[in-house]
Amino acid sequence: MSPIGHELRLLLRARLAAGALVLLALLTAASIVAGLAEVRHQQQVIERIQPQQAADVAAISQWVSKIEDPGSAAYYTFHPTWDSPSSLAFAALGMRDVAPYILRVRALGLEAQLYDGENFNPELALPGRFDFAFVLIYLAPLFVIALFHDLHASEREAGRLTMLRALPRSRRLWWRRGLLRFAFVYFAVALPFAVGAIVSGTGLPTILAVLTLIAAYLVFWVALALLVGRMSWSSVTNAAALAACWLVLTLVLPTLAHVAINRAIPLGQGVELTLAQREAVNKAWDIPRETTMARFFASHPEWRDTPPLPPEFHWKWYFAFHQVGDESVADRVRAYRDGLQARDAAARALGWALPPVGAQAALTRLANTDLAGQLAYQDRVRAYHERLRQFYYRYLFNDIPFGAPDFEKAPKFGSIVPSK
Amino acid sequence: MSAVRLIARDELRLMRRNRVAVIAFALLVLLTLIAAMTSWTHQQGVADLRARFQSEADRAFDAQPDRHPHRVVHYGHFIFRPLGPLAAFDPGVDAFTGNSMFLEGHRQNTANFGDVRQSSQLIRFGQLTPAFVLQILAPLLLIFLGYGALARERERGTLRQLLAQGVSGRQLFAGKAVALGLVAILIGLPAMIGFALIAGQPGALAGPMAVIALGYAAWLLLWTLVVVLVSASVARSRDALLALLAIWAVAVILLPRIAPDIAGQAHPLTTRLETDIAIQRDLRQLGDSHNADDPFFAAFKQKILDQYGVARVEDLPVNYKGLLAIEGEKLTSRLFDRYAANSFATQSRQSTVMNGFGLLSPTIALRHLSMAAAGTDLAGHRRFLDQAEAYRFDIVQRLNRLQAEAVSYADDTAKDPGADRRKRVADSHWDRIPDFAFRPASATALVGAALPGLAIVIGWLFAAIAAAWFVSGRLQRNSK
Amino acid sequence: MNPAAPLLEMSNITVAYGAHRVLDGISLGVGAGEIYALLGGNGAGKSTTLSALLGFIQPTAGDVRVGGIDPARDPDAARRQIAYLPESVALYEHLSARENTAYLLALADQAQQDEAIAEAFGATGLQADAWDKRLAGFSKGMRQKVAIAVALLRHVPVLLLDEPTSGLDPRATADFNRLVEQVRDRGAAVLMVTHDLLSAADIADRIGFLEHGRIVDEVTASGPDRFDVRALHHKFGAAPADAIAA
Repeated sequence: MSPIGHELRLLLRARLAAGALVLLALLTAASIVAGLAEVRHQQQVIERIQPQQAADVAAISQWVSKIEDPGSAAYYTFHPTWDSPSSLAFAALGMRDVAPYILRVRALGLEAQLYDGENFNPELALPGRFDFAFVLIYLAPLFVIALFHDLHASEREAGRLTMLRALPRSRRLWWRRGLLRFAFVYFAVALPFAVGAIVSGTGLPTILAVLTLIAAYLVFWVALALLVGRMSWSSVTNAAALAACWLVLTLVLPTLAHVAINRAIPLGQGVELTLAQREAVNKAWDIPRETTMARFFASHPEWRDTPPLPPEFHWKWYFAFHQVGDESVADRVRAYRDGLQARDAAARALGWALPPVGAQAALTRLANTDLAGQLAYQDRVRAYHERLRQFYYRYLFNDIPFGAPDFEKAPKFGSIVPSK
Repeated sequence: MSAVRLIARDELRLMRRNRVAVIAFALLVLLTLIAAMTSWTHQQGVADLRARFQSEADRAFDAQPDRHPHRVVHYGHFIFRPLGPLAAFDPGVDAFTGNSMFLEGHRQNTANFGDVRQSSQLIRFGQLTPAFVLQILAPLLLIFLGYGALARERERGTLRQLLAQGVSGRQLFAGKAVALGLVAILIGLPAMIGFALIAGQPGALAGPMAVIALGYAAWLLLWTLVVVLVSASVARSRDALLALLAIWAVAVILLPRIAPDIAGQAHPLTTRLETDIAIQRDLRQLGDSHNADDPFFAAFKQKILDQYGVARVEDLPVNYKGLLAIEGEKLTSRLFDRYAANSFATQSRQSTVMNGFGLLSPTIALRHLSMAAAGTDLAGHRRFLDQAEAYRFDIVQRLNRLQAEAVSYADDTAKDPGADRRKRVADSHWDRIPDFAFRPASATALVGAALPGLAIVIGWLFAAIAAAWFVSGRLQRNSK
Repeated sequence: MNPAAPLLEMSNITVAYGAHRVLDGISLGVGAGEIYALLGGNGAGKSTTLSALLGFIQPTAGDVRVGGIDPARDPDAARRQIAYLPESVALYEHLSARENTAYLLALADQAQQDEAIAEAFGATGLQADAWDKRLAGFSKGMRQKVAIAVALLRHVPVLLLDEPTSGLDPRATADFNRLVEQVRDRGAAVLMVTHDLLSAADIADRIGFLEHGRIVDEVTASGPDRFDVRALHHKFGAAPADAIAA
């Protein structure tokens, strides 16, 4: 039997170690299954809204096509958008449980629609999801601690250390044991992940990136455990010290940093933005219509040479002031977005000092479930909304009747699924 | 009794001499004070901010110029959920629910701009509040301080020696538990100082505060007993530490995460988008307001005409469009209520499943009791949403009535250039629309909501006491 | 390697921590087929001597050679020559005697056949029914037999024993002593540090008396009685009572 074979037997005979490894593999597998189930649920929701949405549009088309009024069509028709989960979303659900991944919009002011929330039970969201990211970031280190805290100390406490040291080239022993334990922890975490990733159709580069991330994160904890182990403390002191490190790194410092970041980077509340947009939109009723149209044409000269406003109500004025309302808060929108990104960047920077934060940030980035993913979705909604406006404006400003076939011509939301 | 006191005193002396223990204890106390301070200032800041927004929104609403009432229905109103004083102790789901809502006619909007979408991902690592410290961190400190209480004695052989000197197993156990219990009380004290700050605020309710204090006291004592129990049951102090860490990780970290996943899978929620579509579909089934010959609206029209004894809507003494708006709002609102009730029923079922896990992990029960008593749980959020919807319905209907009574049907349907002016109602009306005033839950309601969680935590405590009685009685036999 | 040179050799070894000298100019040599007992009380410097031989510490002054190798310079080469039995032979409790042996041999880079292990167990007198039992229930004497079996299988020329007889009952002590003689007779150099005068007198070819880091006296076995135990007692006058009681 090879030395590794002997070490293997030794490791697997130790009930604590073997049990811990099996438990870790089971927990990882459970988190993968839960993540895959959640992602499948989200995909099903995205799929099942399509026919419902089509029926909704058909019902509107039924009466609008009789009057052929493009304004009514634009006003009453909602268009669905969705943010399909990436093939890695199962591993790190990130913000997908609290931010909407489906949103329907109409050609009215977007800023009043973009920040709508989703129905979710906040009591369920509060503790966080049981996903792979959780198992890796919170639980795996505890298993590393359990397996590594007494790598040396257990031999000393059992009285075997001098005998082992008296053997030739005894230092290899620690390498072998360390590597073996690391390999087991790694595979307990990485194998279920790899299986889940293959099931989910994750691309190879992304899988490799996550496998590297897992290794790097576990190496950090192993290194910490070995460092503490070098102090020649008793195994119980090692365990306590490591558990304290875990507590500080995964719970105490991130929560303190959260308070600090939110203090350091004050954010104009999003609600200020919508309040301003609403004032801008509603003000239009109280100022001359020509003022609104002048502002609209300034930014959209392509519609300038269209028939003038009739004396009575016309939808194009209505949509123009919605557009102007959106544009009047563009600066605030940018500032709000910059603030969000600044907070996110600060947390990301902190990830270099706090590996749990870094690992979480890296995983959600790879899975496109972080703030950047959210903002990218908002950008796609914005771009789509712009296409919707342009589509309806053509009818509105040129007084083209809007018939049943025109409903079919409305731009469709092309979900650009992230390549990862 | 004096044996118990001697043992407790000895254990405490040992802890005092353990530099690491003293530092850890001091750090936790410091952290609690920081948490209490930041949480309190945060709560104050948020409460002030929302109050400011609310008064700005109220002012903006009242300052509207002369307008057609239906314009005002669409101008709508913003309301903000005020934050109760106990949210400084346990903000509960506040960061996860939106706290502002746009109220308008025919639509029920979501509460938007919760902190969770406005903060970095760090918020998902937990929020530094006194509740967080007591729920998550305090048990860990008790583990660090107490894992060796009896395992150490057994490991060193002093357990046999003590028992041989005539100290009974129960006395020994009690002494260790008393020592650790005193530490637990000291750990809980700073959070209670934070509590005292809160108590000075208006609106702080004594009943819920007492329940919270009782719940956390039971929680810390439960951990005290669990720590000593495990320490009494294993051969080596290292095993005691590992076993306790495992119990902590499962009960405090793992189960509270698994429970919501299971609850969410068991009772999936309908998405908002689907709800919107369903409501529109139901509305169409009731009647097509865009179709002049729709039977439902034709019947309504006939009913109104009969009521006033006239033949044409133009002859009505009131504006028919206003009446129609009132009727329409009634219909939509009824649907909103029904769908909201369905959604909340599902969410309640989810929460029930999750709280059922409290039987396995008292952390879940404690968290529930804490949020419920602080009024920051799902029910607290629902209270806001329900009142918001009632308020929305009220102001929309007031405006619709105003349209029916103060705008003539002829003006309302006129399309000449001067019609817009004639349709408008004097701005003095907006002042008369009442402002939104959130009515917080009564102390009795909060206490009542917290009782199931409290019962579970106390049940666990009694189970631990029973286990302690049993284990300490066998300490003599298992002294080696 | 010079065949005439002793397998274990220390010349003028001093180990000092600051002003405190734990070993103060020790010289000794143990040749092949010889048992040397280093007798001393607590704190005399016995463990430090072993540490220097195993290359755990580097002497402040003097020269150590194990099979011609300086253990401080090349500890691995030196340890390849040595089998070391600590005072309490601690092995892996959840492995059987056979598995422990195979494992320790593997750690020392020596794969062994089952037959060889069985032969070595036979040589140490370990009962056959214990070979495949987990070590958890073994007595100290049985553990020592396993450790000696490992030493035999490693074919090392040097055996270092640290207080081997402490905690053994008289019969187990006698058993163990016969076993050590057997190892010596196979040509090994045996150094045992002990405070057990009777055991030392029983098997040692030479006895060195260690006091305050110095070898104050050295006697060689001679005649049918080997040592005059009574005289040794007097010489070892300051020895703790348990040296005799054991």
